[in-house]
Amino acid sequence: MVTAAERVSSHKWGMVVDVDRCTGCQACVMACQAENNIPLSTEDIYRQKRTFAWIRVERYWYGDFPDVKARFIPIMCQHCENAPCEPVCPVFATYHNTEGMNVQIYNRCVGTRYCANGCPYNVRFFNYWEPVWPVSLRNQLNPDVTVRSRGIMEKCSFCVQRIRRGVREAARDGHDLQDGDIGTACTDACPTNALVFGDYNDENSRVSIMAKDDRKYTLLDALNTDPNVLYLAQVDATGGAIGGHD
Amino acid sequence: MKLSRREFMTLAGGSTVGAVIFTACGVPADELLVEAPLDLPEDLVTGIDSWFATTDDSGLGVIVRVMEGRAKKIAGNPDYPINVGKHAVHSDFALQALYHPDRVEGPMRRRSAGQPLVPISWDEASDLLAQWMTDADGNLAVVTNPIRGGDARIAGDVASAFNGRLMFFDPLEQGVLHQAVKTVFNQNRIPEFDIANAHTVLSFGCDWLGTWLSPVRYSTKYGDFRGGDHRGFMMHAESRMSITAAAADQWLTVKPGYEGDLAISIASVIVKEKLVPDANISAYTANIPQGELDNWAPELVADRIGVSVERINDAARKFAGEGPSIAFGGGSAGAQTNGVFNLTAVYALNILAGTVGKAGGIQFNPAGSQDLPDSATGASFEVWEEELSQWRAGNVKTVILRGADLVHGLPRSVDAGGALDNVDNVVAFTSVLDESSTHANLILPENSYLENWGLDVPEPAPGYEVVGIRQPVVNAPLDGETKARLYDSRNFLDTLIQAAGSRVPVNSVKEFVEDTVADIFSAGRGSVTAGDARLFMNGVLQRGGWWDVNATETTGSPSNISSPIAKAAGPGLSEIEVGVEGHVFTLVPFAHQSLLDGRNASTPWAQATPDPITTVAWSTWAEINFDKAKEMGISEGQWIKVRTTVGEITVQAYPHPGISPDVIAIPIGQGHKEEIGGRYAEDRGENVLNILVDKKESETGALAWAATRAVVSKSGGKKEFPKFEGDAKDIIRPAEHGVPILIVEPGQTAHEAEEHNHELHLRFISNDE
Amino acid sequence: MQQRRILDEFTVNHELLRGNLATPKWWLPTVLGLLVVVLFGFTLMGIMFNRGLGVTGLSRPVYWGLFITTFVFWVGISHAGIMISAILRLTQAEWRRPVTRAAELLTVFSLLTALFFPLIHAGRPWRIFYWITPYDFARGIFPNARSPLVWDPFAIGTYLTGSTLFLYVALLPDLGVLRDRTTGWKRSFYTVASLGWRGNPRQWRLQTVAGILLSALMLPIFVSVHSIVSWDFAVTPAVEGWHSTVFAPYFVVGAVHSGVSAVVTMMALMRWLWGWDNYIRPEHFDALARLLIVVACAWLALTFAELIFGVYSLEAPERALREMQMFEWPWNLLFIIFFLTGFAIPVPLWFFKRVRNNIAMMFWTSILVNIGMWLERFLIIVPGLSRKQPFVFTWDSYQVSPLEWGLLLWSFAWVMMLMLLFSKFFPLIPLFETKESQVFTTDVQIGRVTMPAVIRELD
Ligand SMILES: Nc1nc2c(c(=O)[nH]1)N[C@H]1C(S)=C(S)[C@@H](COP(=O)(O)OP(=O)(O)OC[C@H]3O[C@@H](n4cnc5c(=O)[nH]c(N)nc54)[C@H](O)[C@@H]3O)O[C@H]1N2
Ligand SMILES: Nc1nc2c(c(=O)[nH]1)N[C@H]1C(S)=C(S)[C@@H](COP(=O)(O)OP(=O)(O)OC[C@H]3O[C@@H](n4cnc5c(=O)[nH]c(N)nc54)[C@H](O)[C@@H]3O)O[C@H]1N2
Ligand code: SF4
Ligand code: SF4
Ligand code: SF4
Ligand code: SF4
Ligand code: SF4
Repeated sequence: MVTAAERVSSHKWGMVVDVDRCTGCQACVMACQAENNIPLSTEDIYRQKRTFAWIRVERYWYGDFPDVKARFIPIMCQHCENAPCEPVCPVFATYHNTEGMNVQIYNRCVGTRYCANGCPYNVRFFNYWEPVWPVSLRNQLNPDVTVRSRGIMEKCSFCVQRIRRGVREAARDGHDLQDGDIGTACTDACPTNALVFGDYNDENSRVSIMAKDDRKYTLLDALNTDPNVLYLAQVDATGGAIGGHD
Repeated sequence: MKLSRREFMTLAGGSTVGAVIFTACGVPADELLVEAPLDLPEDLVTGIDSWFATTDDSGLGVIVRVMEGRAKKIAGNPDYPINVGKHAVHSDFALQALYHPDRVEGPMRRRSAGQPLVPISWDEASDLLAQWMTDADGNLAVVTNPIRGGDARIAGDVASAFNGRLMFFDPLEQGVLHQAVKTVFNQNRIPEFDIANAHTVLSFGCDWLGTWLSPVRYSTKYGDFRGGDHRGFMMHAESRMSITAAAADQWLTVKPGYEGDLAISIASVIVKEKLVPDANISAYTANIPQGELDNWAPELVADRIGVSVERINDAARKFAGEGPSIAFGGGSAGAQTNGVFNLTAVYALNILAGTVGKAGGIQFNPAGSQDLPDSATGASFEVWEEELSQWRAGNVKTVILRGADLVHGLPRSVDAGGALDNVDNVVAFTSVLDESSTHANLILPENSYLENWGLDVPEPAPGYEVVGIRQPVVNAPLDGETKARLYDSRNFLDTLIQAAGSRVPVNSVKEFVEDTVADIFSAGRGSVTAGDARLFMNGVLQRGGWWDVNATETTGSPSNISSPIAKAAGPGLSEIEVGVEGHVFTLVPFAHQSLLDGRNASTPWAQATPDPITTVAWSTWAEINFDKAKEMGISEGQWIKVRTTVGEITVQAYPHPGISPDVIAIPIGQGHKEEIGGRYAEDRGENVLNILVDKKESETGALAWAATRAVVSKSGGKKEFPKFEGDAKDIIRPAEHGVPILIVEPGQTAHEAEEHNHELHLRFISNDE
Repeated sequence: MQQRRILDEFTVNHELLRGNLATPKWWLPTVLGLLVVVLFGFTLMGIMFNRGLGVTGLSRPVYWGLFITTFVFWVGISHAGIMISAILRLTQAEWRRPVTRAAELLTVFSLLTALFFPLIHAGRPWRIFYWITPYDFARGIFPNARSPLVWDPFAIGTYLTGSTLFLYVALLPDLGVLRDRTTGWKRSFYTVASLGWRGNPRQWRLQTVAGILLSALMLPIFVSVHSIVSWDFAVTPAVEGWHSTVFAPYFVVGAVHSGVSAVVTMMALMRWLWGWDNYIRPEHFDALARLLIVVACAWLALTFAELIFGVYSLEAPERALREMQMFEWPWNLLFIIFFLTGFAIPVPLWFFKRVRNNIAMMFWTSILVNIGMWLERFLIIVPGLSRKQPFVFTWDSYQVSPLEWGLLLWSFAWVMMLMLLFSKFFPLIPLFETKESQVFTTDVQIGRVTMPAVIRELD
């Protein structure tokens, strides 16, 4: 078997989010729920303020009626190269792999929730309760993805199961991975193509090209987390007349 | 104290035993099973997974990941022209509908009114159905949600075999839209909007990125409209901030019912300032008396319609200046007493823009392949009033309901429940009990679309012929222990065919699909080429359908179309009761982003998905203007009474700045009574449709569902919403310029915008602001 | 004022062994009462193990709440021991003698209590061995040395070991006395426990040297333990109000503030419960109050510095956080209570000699300090999490659940019960130290005042 140290990866996975295209439709949110066996956010969970959403769409108001805008931004784990969630985990349950991803090893996690405090993007979710589904609904669960028990932390995995499958299938069929062969559940769903997934090491990939866009920025730049999720700024064609808050 | 090695081992052993005992007592057994599937090849689940293509209930092409006969994931079918691999928030809900714990398990019969439902066998049930259909020869009504293609053909054939009628029901029907399209373009089918190639989009009243017609299709086009070399400019007129209004560059806060006035006012500016070629102007003004347009000058209408003079002028100049431009509308703009006028005025703008039939404009759709029904809309409210009065009078013997929840979806005035109770035999095909099926005396469990054969002709089509094929992609869900079928459900159409027996020319839906595909094969054109009919069928199944990009609409000569606007009509809003305390609002119901009209309400995912604007889940809320609410002393979560002349509901207020001060907007889809809609929907929220006043659109008789006025007053205390956004202040606004959403002006780089924000920040610090 | 009583050895033995050789009437009912609360607390923990952390009020942004607050609080209290016995011993502050044992005891028991909280608040407490032991369980990975959560068990473990040894070494001569004055199984017990203490010069020398050495060894721990606890927060750049460089000294000084106050509370109780008026004298309270004034002022300065450091950046989330912490309901109320009880009421009072020498006043002011210090930790931990970064959308709140309040109550009952149990078997005031001080102390005349002076311990 190849050990992690020997497996020098040729991939650096990442995502580019074109905020200008996002309509807030929630298709990505739902696709991620279904793909990743995310515990159901029941009404009680909502009221307890423990809602799960590996990818969420934040909504912000700008201005006041009638010069008001509601703007949306999808936020998921930024897969920081310099992830503040990683060094604080006492048991290495969350760590950085060789492919640019922040990964979460569920069975190592003891549930200190320290990593969640450490994550400035608030994208980590703790299983306060054992997740339950009525028996018949369990038929839907994705067998590629572990069902997390209570007491552990979870978050966007970049749909690692799809990445692994894509890489292995390409190896099995003896061809090179092409840009677009691997899509995450959310990027596949997103009808406006606001979300694009790919390999930054492939310089012709869509993400590599989008990463050079003038509108590129990263969230909480000042924290130097060096995310692998890049954003393209929202364009305001009305001349920026509508200002921010404060 | 010196510790010998032996002592140490003893101590260590002791603590290990302690740990083991500790562990054995406290750990749930399954806890220990959880593994991480991250990087370990041996953890990859073995077993064959396959993706099967099919067509979903809403007309999207989907692919379904199936393992061991069980559906695991639904994604968009990349080949299918309507949604090119993309899907909607509601696409995955079908998985939960399929495995819903409260699905009806088998046929049930109510022997007489007031008796409970008792399980019966399918044999008994089909005999009964056949009997009731035969008995009802001449007075049978088959009522479904709007269906097209082969599905509509078969259902229609069955209905007419018994001299009955096939009727469609849709709470927010598109009849007004069809009428307007007919009036302006003389088309029977909803055209294709070429948003992707348009440079300016002007839409009215319809949440086309969220819930209207084909939002996934429109969203894919919207993505292209935003991306590419040229970023389009979009304006949207609606009284509330739907996600479409949010996506627009310019939101026009038009008052409900005045969309037509706004459209004509925009036209009047264009005509007056001669912003478009003369030919377009004369086509537009052909039927309008000289000088009539002056009555719509922005200065004259601005106050009435709720949009400022500058905004109207700007909109006109943008629309005329940055072509190709497209204008379309529907939704609440058509749901008025003057709905057809509004939409006619809206669609006529395309004539002025000169983009009818051109890239970036309105494109007409061809007739459905094989002459299959290619367009469907719910029957108008007027028709339903008449029909239900027949039922009430006992003139209809058998009613077959499927996907049509009349009791939940129609205003109280028609008392659909009472009408159903006067029908001898009510058969309801359903998978989870809905409001109407409680009035049925025969309940037949219906398949999920994932278990069905079917043939769909999508509407709106993408400008060419498309046929979507539905095929069963899963095994029937089994009980884990007994291996018995969890739900003994059947295809609605197959059951009808069986009951109709030799009266209909088809034997099964599958056969119909195969025959139709064989016919398509013999035409020898389109997306699939194959040597023989069998291979052709395989190809069609693999790709989820068949289409022919060359089969476009050729009839009609758009340049000859002249604007039909002749008369103006203001909206007629409902009366309000006198002597009721409170503030008067126009009540605008809207389709919920994930529940839609309520058809998804039973699935927990639909309930749990936060509304994009309010982020509220699992409940019904009322959107109200933030400042207006403050004036009324209403804060978030406050219970309010919304009272119309026909009834009253109590819901929680969600004040936000994105809605006109005189409008209150409430999503539909909730409000199922106890034991209805399954465990996730029952007894949850309120049904706003039930308090709508029966105003009708003047030409089509459609329900003017956005023309009800309501009196709103505070009621009781308040309660926190189950919502996704946090609790910072009243309304969530960014705390910092550019964080998290960085906003750039056209041509500005992110870096420049960040510098600019930094300067704003510095200015703030030094109190220059 | 600084009178002292000359007491003979018999009286000392008789009075100080009151708790051990006889049982005061109130002892059993009190211990039983506390036991009920303690068992109730363990039941609550059982419920939490069984059903999951869902039973707490913790939420999505506020992942740490009352448990971590209480953890920090008890670690803070534990600083009583080092401050009194190690520092004062090394500086040869003679008045420390009667209170050293109680202070060390408080250290050991509060640490034992503090340890519970991070462990029970883990999502899967049955797996904490992965975390707290440097043992790889055949998985090829040791605990992550970069995580302050790994330093915590080391720091606290060392502290606990050191304090226990320290306590034990100081207990040896008294155990010898008890051995000689008891019979039956008790005698056997004390015989073993006293490790053959006979009180010969060599043993005394070893005992003294061990005490001094342990004091010196504990000094770095004094600085490190609460610094490390503060780093749990300070190394987290994501949370405004946490990542402050001033946290280590701030936490240490705060810990001394609360720890010494807790000693004052205990001293008052000891006087009242066992009538040790001859040993715990008003001058002890006076001295501690003077020490507390200094500590409290330093702590206030650091509190202020921490606030200024934070607000100086004028970053939006930091401003929002401070706004909430100080001005938004109900945080503003907590903040005012915190400031009044932690500083504004007790410290000015302590400037009055009448207050310093009044046992009741000292008792209540010291209780106030610890209410304030608990709130201080709460106000650091929770608002920071609920107003994290400028993602306003995810800002949310935290409602402490009844179960968490129950476990807070448990922690106090648990410490008190351990103390009372200890008092039954071991003298709370060291006999030998008391006697030693009688020997070492004499009166000296300075001008018109007579002062007790100390003959320095000889090496
Ligand atoms: N062909 C063939 N067949 C065999 C064998 C063979 O060598 N070859 N070996 C036989 C032997 S020895 C055995 S033990 C069996 C094993 O057969 P199974 O017991 O079927 O074992 P797995 O294939 O590992 O599948 C267990 C399932 O549990 C899921 N799972 C993982 N963690 C958890 C958890 O924490 N909770 C829950 N609820 N589910 C979880 C996994 O996703 C997986 O779907 O197979 C037997 N059958
Ligand atoms: N990666 C990975 N590791 C696993 C598991 C997994 O799912 N994935 N599953 C675990 C489980 S549940 C199990 S039970 C173990 C099984 O692990 P093993 O017990 O190692 O099972 P096998 O490798 O299937 O068989 C062992 C050997 O027995 C030989 N053999 C066959 N028949 C006979 C016979 O009659 N006599 C003798 N002497 N030899 C015979 C076979 O040729 C083979 O070489 O693996 C465990 N390890
Ligand atoms: S976004 Fe948060 S969870 Fe993801 S890598 Fe960065 S710090 Fe870690
Ligand atoms: S919650 Fe789990 S992953 Fe996070 S720091 Fe604790 S042990 Fe590590
Ligand atoms: S990449 Fe996968 S896990 Fe991450 S948000 Fe998207 S769908 Fe969810
Ligand atoms: S699916 Fe795409 S457009 Fe819709 S909310 Fe997600 S990112 Fe935005
Ligand atoms: S090889 Fe894998 S399955 Fe086997 S003991 Fe090790 S971790 Fe567990």
